[in-house]
This record gives sequence, structure tokens and C-alpha cells, in this order.
Amino acid sequence: MTSSPEEIGELIVALLPRLRRFARSLSRNQHDADDLAQVAVERALRHRGQFRAGANLSSWLFGIMKNAWLDDRRARARRAEVALPDDSGEHPAVTPADTNTSLWSVSEAMDKLPEEQRLAIACVLVEGMSYKEAAEVLEIPIGTLTSRLARGRTALAAALADEKVGAAT
Amino acid sequence: MKYDDDTLMAFADGELDEVKRAEIAAAVENDPELARRVAQHRALRDRVAGAFGPVLGQPVPERLVNTARGAEPARRGEVVQFPVRGKPPGMPWRAREWGAMAASLALGAVISWKLLSPAEPLMTASNGSLVARGALAAALERQLAGTQTEADPVRIGLSFETRDGHFCRSFQLRDAGTAGLGCRIAGEWRIPVTTEAAAGDLRQAASPPPAVLQAIEARIAGEALDATGEEKARDAGWDPVRR
Repeated sequence: MTSSPEEIGELIVALLPRLRRFARSLSRNQHDADDLAQVAVERALRHRGQFRAGANLSSWLFGIMKNAWLDDRRARARRAEVALPDDSGEHPAVTPADTNTSLWSVSEAMDKLPEEQRLAIACVLVEGMSYKEAAEVLEIPIGTLTSRLARGRTALAAALADEKVGAAT
Repeated sequence: MKYDDDTLMAFADGELDEVKRAEIAAAVENDPELARRVAQHRALRDRVAGAFGPVLGQPVPERLVNTARGAEPARRGEVVQFPVRGKPPGMPWRAREWGAMAASLALGAVISWKLLSPAEPLMTASNGSLVARGALAAALERQLAGTQTEADPVRIGLSFETRDGHFCRSFQLRDAGTAGLGCRIAGEWRIPVTTEAAAGDLRQAASPPPAVLQAIEARIAGEALDATGEEKARDAGWDPVRR
């Protein structure tokens, strides 16, 4: 059974706050995050026929967002090769004065992580997914997820500690 | 017994089976070094979750809502208040997660919230933790879930023992709609997570909001205390050793 576009649309509307949070943890600012969420929602609606009734809609949407984010990173990397180094099309990161310092500092530290570690952290620590659900969303075995998560945690803790030292000097 | 970091991480994330969980909980109690490593995992988790939590409470841009409903994209920059589930559209979304505040305390800022009366802050920051004060601290220390009344400013929910040997209690502030978890550590009630509950959640106060539930699930050892266990723990001063 396939849900009607209206039904899926309303279910997605209900998930938008979580989709924005997940997107925010993968982006440097809320504007880029909302662009990412928009692309993911458009893709989800276009491919809604692939969604199996009874499956977990949020996992499916997070998976689509993960792919959209990686596609965008690849496209930016390609553009950066042929354009000026700073012409990435990204909006600048928020400054500490713009928002709460906690979001800013954690977001900056996340931005330093390799993509696969950042995704693992976003699924488990930001979205609170179980290892099993996170592995499904990221389409990787659980063992791979846990090793990325462990390395991501170590790197993130180090980045946050660095930042504290940097702020003190 | 040595435990590798992956095992301690899985323990901190609530991912181990019962047997392994109990084994590590016991080891953590007797080994300050293990306890420190588990606490580090939890602190990072709380900090990251707290940093991004407030995004949930922000108004969702109208262009996203329109896209989900299959409409033409709206102009950028327009926002709508996200409707609370089960409420008519137009109700402001009030579930703001306050975990970020607890996390930002790592910066050493001293902040206080005057949630009930201007004279009496219910939580203050102290040494990087959010700590309960005033009526909230009193309720966490003395109030029993079974005998509390509608008139009490704080409503106590679940009380339980954590895997690393502390007691925690979930709570909700009746007036402010703030919910959270208080854990008694080193003689004070620390608040690892607080959430501003949506207005609609207040009426179904029996069930803590998702952010608090998640914090409970990440910490609880076994079952929540029943009324007898709760009273005993209170009378023992929330000291697991003396219980």
C-alpha cells in the first residue's frame, strides 16, 4: 500500500523540526541546513514510490538527507577545483554573537570531522538513534558505525578542548 | 577487568544487553577510572544533543512546510509557527529544549533562571553543571510522587537508580511547563537535561517529554523505583550506599 502524496506530506511536515535539526548538525549554519532539508524533502516526495508502507518514515527521510548532503559536498568539492578556493557557495558560519555559543562551538567542532564520523555523531548523539537505526540510515554495518562513532567522539572531544584552550588565550 | 573504549561507549549509549550492562555498572562503581571514562562519553553526548536541541523549537520556515505539502516553494525568509501536534494550526510551538544551556555551562558562565518567582531561581550554574535550587531542589529532595498534590509547584515523575550508582528523578514545573531530570551527585541535584514541554504535554504529565525520556533511558539501571523504594531512598538521603 502506498500512502497518498497528501498523507506523506503531512507526515513529513510533522518531522520537519527533526529534519532541520539533523540538517543543522551537518551544516555550518541554519540557512544551509534549511536548503539541505528542502532538497531532501523534494527528493523524498519525488521518490515516495520507493517508500515501503510499514517502514520507518523518519529513517527513510534521514537516509535521503544523508545522500543529499554527500551529493552537495561532492558538488562543492568539484566546484572548488575549478573555481577560486573560497568560492564554495556556502553561507558563512554564524558568529558567536548571532546565536547561543554552545550551538556555535559544537557546530564548528563538528565541521572539522570527516564526513563519515560527522554522520555517525549526527545520527546517534544529535538525533538519539539506536546504533541499529543509525546503521540503517547510513547504510553501513553496525561495527562500522560504532568504530566511526568512537573515532568521531574522540576527534570531537579534542576539537572542543582545543577551542576552549584557544578561547582562553 | 579491562574494558575497551567501544564497550564503555556502548554502555554510555545504553546499547548493551542486560547482562553486560549489569557487569559494567558494577565495575564502574568500583573503579573511578572507568567511571570517569563513562562520564566523559555521557558529557559529550549531553553537550552535542544539548547544542542542537533548540533547533527543534524554532519556527519552521514556511517554504519547507509548503514543499512538504507539494506546493510551489515560498519566498525565502518567511517563517510560520510550527503547529503543535493535536492542536489547531496557529498554536505556537513551545517545545524548546534547554539542554543547550546545560551544555553551554562548560564555558564557565554563571547564569540563573528565575522560572517561578523572580526572587527564587530554581536552577543555577555551578562548576559546569546546572544545579537545582529553591523549591525545585526541595521537591527533588523530599517530595514523593505518591503523595504530591496539584498545588505543589513541582511535579515529581520517575525516580530511579543510575548505572553509575546515583539517584535521578524526573520533574515538571507546573507553571513554567519546564520538564527535566535531576540527579543527586555530590550532595546536590544536578540537572543534566531540561526541556520546555509543549503546553499540551502538561495535561498528560504522567509521561516525560522525549528529551527527558531519552536521558532516563540512557541512565537507568533496571526498573524505576516503586513508592516504597522511592520513600526508602529519600529517607536514606538519596545515598545509594546507605540504602
